[in-house]
Formats: sequence, structure tokens, C-alpha cells
Amino acid sequence: MSSGGGLWSDAGRGAAVFAGDRRKVTPVANETDFEALMRQSLIGDRSAYAELLRQSARLLRPFLERRLQDRSSIDDLLQEILISLHKARHTYDGNRPYKPWLYAIARFRLKDHLRALYADRLADADDWQELEALSAPDVTESLFEYESLHREIGRLPEKQAEILRLMYREGFTARETAEQLGMSESAVKVAAHRAYKKLRERMEP
Amino acid sequence: MDRIDELADALANEATPVSRAPRPLWLASLWFGAVALYLLLALLLAGLRPDWALKLGDLHFLAELATLTAVLAASSYSAALLAYPDLHQQRRPALPLLLAAGLFLVALSLSWLDDSPPAPLPLHSIECSLLIAFFALLPALGLMLALRRFASTHPGLAGGASLLFAFTGGALWLRLFELNDSIPHVLLWHYLPLLAAGLLGVWLGRLLLKW
Repeated sequence: MSSGGGLWSDAGRGAAVFAGDRRKVTPVANETDFEALMRQSLIGDRSAYAELLRQSARLLRPFLERRLQDRSSIDDLLQEILISLHKARHTYDGNRPYKPWLYAIARFRLKDHLRALYADRLADADDWQELEALSAPDVTESLFEYESLHREIGRLPEKQAEILRLMYREGFTARETAEQLGMSESAVKVAAHRAYKKLRERMEP
Repeated sequence: MDRIDELADALANEATPVSRAPRPLWLASLWFGAVALYLLLALLLAGLRPDWALKLGDLHFLAELATLTAVLAASSYSAALLAYPDLHQQRRPALPLLLAAGLFLVALSLSWLDDSPPAPLPLHSIECSLLIAFFALLPALGLMLALRRFASTHPGLAGGASLLFAFTGGALWLRLFELNDSIPHVLLWHYLPLLAAGLLGVWLGRLLLKW
């Protein structure tokens, strides 16, 4: 069975999707359609399955956009969710509503994503705190150390200084910093780590 | 064509007909049946406690066994529900297990209150917990492997329920095998380890049931 015909709701009843991208307004199939598409998919109808995946992505995009700001993270996460849906599709029997099943997988992957994101930020923050801990407890001295820290950052190679500025003054993640500078995420992490190392060596008494 | 469309097409191209996972009740019955058979086999090999005929007339003992069996069945059902990403859309998935555990605690408390004069404490202690763990190894391994074929979105709880299930089977076997009626002993060395097993299962579940 193909994806067209009776499986689809008309555009008037479908919800508008791609929030934030007003150029694309695509109808999302209603709940009955999702279940019918999934039942077709489970018996091996590839075109129904491809449409199911697309419609699921359209359904989930606004859900993710309300929770994440970074557009590339949303796209990455949507892909992860679709792959998870693919792996877990045997756990859907076609007799219960499809959306709660889909959202359960989406929430699970979102939680994983946020956990990894915050763990990453926490690790970076640990490095930064380690450097800040080098400053003395006295307020005047702290200010002095703070200024010397910034002076030392200024003496770093330009790329490393820019990475630290983006990550700690602007609050960007390693991934966001990588996007800003056109580098890979791992290259940013390596550069940031080297920068910490240099600063630590220069600032330790 | 954007990345999502490309991925949708790629996944659809490798899609083949899928055999659907069984319903949770069927799955739980299957696991319960397997552990019941394993228990029977263990009792055939190791034997029943020598006073089993006498204990058939002990209402407290029968209530303890019945409620422990209920915990076994309920933990099997909970593990089965937790295997599905959406818990098969059950509203109160933990209710059967909480009810069974509550009944079990009531039965055990009544046995303890009626334990006068108290039955003598056996000389051994942790050996009982180790025997339960030994019994539970195979069912725990089997259940973890079975759960890995599903897609749990609560891997910690699924692991906890599966180890609780396996260890409850072990505790049931030991009550039928060991000649011992000391309630403080069974509470400390038979039943408290079930809680520890549940916690260990939470950790193992998070580790092993990733997908």
C-alpha cells in the first residue's frame, strides 16, 4: 500500500509544522493515520514507512524546538529519534495510540541528549573553576588574579583565546563554539584543553 | 532533500516485515513460567525441606509463600511493562508490584507477631543470601538478555524489576528447601537482599539496557 490516498488527512485539518520556518507549512497526518501507517510499515510497506518517519519528524520538531535552541542540535536529535523509532518499531503492536509511544521514545532521547550536554558543560566548568581557584581568597587579590587571568588569555594563540572567550564569556557549548569557528567539536575541545593547560602552568605559583 | 528525508528513505529501504513483540501479560507469563520450571527443577535436585508436609498446615507459612509468589508474578509483569518504551500505556504500572509487596509485608509481620516463643536462629547467616544469589544468576541473566531485545525507556527500573524477579524466585526456592522458621533470619538474610538486588538491578539496567 502506498503512502497516498486514504491514509492522509487533508491540509485543512492537518496541523502546521516547522515552527519558526514559515516557508514550509506541511500537514501532519492525524492520529488514525499514524496508526494505519505504522501497521502498514510493520508488514513491510516501505513507502508507508518512509512517510511515517517524515510525519513523525514533523510532529516532533515543534516539541524539540520548545526545548532546544540550537537548530543543528534539533536536527541531530530528530535523526537519533528516528533511528530509535526504527530500532523499537517491533514494540508497537498497532492496537494502541501511536503518539504516546513515539513521544516516550522522543523524551527518552531528549533526556539522553540533555544529560550529555550538561555533562559536557560541567566538565568544561570544572576546568574553568580549577583556573579560578588559583586566585587568592582576598577580594583585591582576586580581582588582580582575575585581571591577570584575562591578560594571560590575551597572550594565548588567537584561536585558543577566542575559544575560551566564546565558551566562558558567552556561555557557548563546545559544539556551538565549533559551529561559530567552523571547527570540529573535538578540535575545539582539544584546543580548549591545551589552553587550560597553558594557563594553569603560567598562573600556578 | 534535507537530512531527515534522506534518513527516512534510508531507514525505509532497509525495512522488512517485523514480527511484533508479544503483549506484556503474555511476556510476563512466559518469564514466570520459565522461573517456575527452574524452581521445580531446583527442588527436584536439592529436595524439599524435611518438614514440608507439616508446613502445609501452617497458615502463616502458606500466606508468606503465596504473597512471595505474588511478588514474583508482579515483578515479572512490571519488568514486561518496562520493556516497552511507553510501558504499553498502562496508567499504573507499579501498582501490582506495590500491592503484592504490601501483602507480603503484612503476611510476614503476622508471622513475626505469632512467632512465640521465637524459632531458634540458625547458625548460618549470609550463606542464605549467597544461595539465593546463586539461584538467581541464570534467570537474571536470561531476563536481562530478553530485555535487551526490547526498547526500554526506563532501563534502570527495568533492570531493578528483573533482578527483583530473579532474586524473589531464589528466595521462594530457599523457603521451600531450607529447614528454618526464624523470622528475623529470613527477614535479614532472605528478604532484605531482595531490596539490595533491586538496587543492583537499577545500576545494571542503566549499564546493560542501553539501546
